[in-house]
Amino acid sequence: MVLQQLGGSITRALQQMSNATIIDEKVLNECLNEITRALLQSDVQFKLVRDMQTNIKKIVNLDDLAAGHNKRNIIQKAIFNELCKILDPGKPAFAPKKGKPSVVMFVGLQGSGKTTTCTKYAFYHQKKGWKPALVCADTFRAGAFDQLKQNATKAKIPFYGSYMESDPVKIAVEGVERFKKENCDLIIVDTSGRHKQEAALFEEMRQVSEATKPDLVIFVMDSSIGQAAFDQAQAFKQSVAVGAVIITKMDGHAKGGGALSAVAATKSPVIFIGTGEHMDEFEIFDVKPFVSRLLGMGDWSGFMDK
Amino acid sequence: MFQSIAGKSNLEKADLEPALKALKDKLMTKNVAEEIAEKLCESVAASLEGKKLGSFTRISSTVRSIDILRDVHAAKEQGKPYVVVFVGVNGVGKSTNLAKVAYWLQQHNINVMMAACDTFRSGAVEQLRTHARRLQIPIFEKGYEKDPAIVAKEAIQEASRNGSDVVLVDTAGRMQDNEPLMRALAKLVYVNSPDLVLFVGEALVGNDGVDQLSKFNQKLADLSPSPNPRLIDGILLTKFDTIDDKVGAALSMVYISGSPVMFVGCGQSYTDLKKLNVKSIIRALLK
Ligand SMILES: Nc1nc2c(ncn2[C@@H]2O[C@H](COP(=O)(O)OP(=O)(O)OP(=O)(O)O)[C@@H](O)[C@H]2O)c(=O)[nH]1
Ligand SMILES: Nc1nc2c(ncn2[C@@H]2O[C@H](COP(=O)(O)OP(=O)(O)OP(=O)(O)O)[C@@H](O)[C@H]2O)c(=O)[nH]1
Ligand SMILES: [Mg+2]
Ligand SMILES: [Mg+2]
Repeated sequence: MVLQQLGGSITRALQQMSNATIIDEKVLNECLNEITRALLQSDVQFKLVRDMQTNIKKIVNLDDLAAGHNKRNIIQKAIFNELCKILDPGKPAFAPKKGKPSVVMFVGLQGSGKTTTCTKYAFYHQKKGWKPALVCADTFRAGAFDQLKQNATKAKIPFYGSYMESDPVKIAVEGVERFKKENCDLIIVDTSGRHKQEAALFEEMRQVSEATKPDLVIFVMDSSIGQAAFDQAQAFKQSVAVGAVIITKMDGHAKGGGALSAVAATKSPVIFIGTGEHMDEFEIFDVKPFVSRLLGMGDWSGFMDK
Repeated sequence: MFQSIAGKSNLEKADLEPALKALKDKLMTKNVAEEIAEKLCESVAASLEGKKLGSFTRISSTVRSIDILRDVHAAKEQGKPYVVVFVGVNGVGKSTNLAKVAYWLQQHNINVMMAACDTFRSGAVEQLRTHARRLQIPIFEKGYEKDPAIVAKEAIQEASRNGSDVVLVDTAGRMQDNEPLMRALAKLVYVNSPDLVLFVGEALVGNDGVDQLSKFNQKLADLSPSPNPRLIDGILLTKFDTIDDKVGAALSMVYISGSPVMFVGCGQSYTDLKKLNVKSIIRALLK
């Protein structure tokens, strides 16, 4: 997986520091610069990276470290904790329960992969014995209903939508009601792509959310996004109760740091990643093991601040 | 930003470093790819130290300019349709901006035809059909799971028959590392030798933008059976309305490919297509 490249660079930087005989300001700076560079090349938001660097320096005040202390360990621990702060919001996402009706609403920027991911999410649960259903509340994009319909048909998942109705709120409500009656336990609402610069689009999203009262709002983000990620994700979070993130297109070359910034902005965990255009190219994502793996693991487990 | 070094008569590398670091940081906050920001700073340093490096001049001098309207009329005089192929990774806005380009050409009294050569993604054909209907433009489509290279070929033949001036070919989104899909694209381009290969990239993209463009070019070269393969001619940069002042992708893409940004997409309706304003980009980058 691509994020591993980032892990590799970080581990290398730490290794180099470990090889140095004396750890002084220069060695620490070199190590931090390497890590900073790796994070920036992965599109982690610039400010997050800078703050992290400052925090680490503050924690690892070299002059204050008593002679007996193991500097290396203190530095590594500081780096680990700062990375965890970015990657791990500290609380798990709402987990729908099989057999109990839940409404899950998908939101995100244009073209991020919402419609594709809705089907993947439904298909994933269907295979585990759930009764999912798809509602197309995207009345804006050309061909949106056809896209969802064709995907749903392929996966044999019931769907609801309309070619005539232009009000997404109305369709969303009708669809959710219908599938609640049909005893579906996972009602998935797909919405149009939108961006923070257009207030009317955000207002529409707020209305769909208010009308359907989703148990979980999932923010879908493209792994290739750059420095705009944080601001956009934060704006979504401020309009609707984003509770989880899915990062798509992880089969590409992107290192995914922009999407990780979305985690920081929404304070919500990444729950799945998309790894291809096909229905089954979808993987569960667990933050803690990921962070550990990112850093070469093992020795890190003792560092977790609890 | 440059105050710290103002007033010195002789610049040395050590004097420059803090300022260059600040410049690089600033460029990166504006979403210029790390590698490109680094290169730009190197060439700034070199020129300030009195050395000459090729890279900075590249943007201004070697980016070719293309005049589509002129070229369309030239093709018309030769009695053949002018063919544009839209390529790029998934979801960047190829189909939507194809429709905007169609609308723009219509405004210049040019007869346009669309070719639905994304024969893979669910709803892709219906999406294009919807745009064609709204704009009252003929569309050539053969449904799904056909070889897009062949569909494009038939579309161009049809355009010659019905007297269309321009054929706009929509293609499926594909990741730059996906060899089979890139091979299929190289084939489509090789078989149809379009007049313009337009790379569609989104302004939202971060460091990956550089990789996308260079790999599309490289794969078009490597996977084509032709000894003189067609590469990317120009860039269409989409979603410019979603990035505030983080305009760096424009710089990264032009820098890495040497291709001009021919259009900028700045919204989701047909009129949201603009020309790149270089001055405002530079202003946003250095603000
Ligand atoms: N390679 C790859 N492509 C993906 C993945 N997820 C989605 N896509 C593709 O990305 C493109 C956009 O996906 P959509 O699902 O239409 O995105 P959307 O967010 O619904 O788009 P709008 O509704 O227009 O905002 C399509 O070509 C998908 O096939 C993924 O994990 N990997
Ligand atoms: N805000 C904004 N949205 C855009 C722009 N251009 C396209 N979009 C939106 O981006 C989404 C994806 O656009 P498409 O044209 O389907 O993208 P595509 O590259 O053809 O996608 P695939 O064929 O699935 O790879 C749609 O919701 C478009 O409305 C733009 O300039 N600004
Ligand atoms: Mg969609
Ligand atoms: Mg398309």
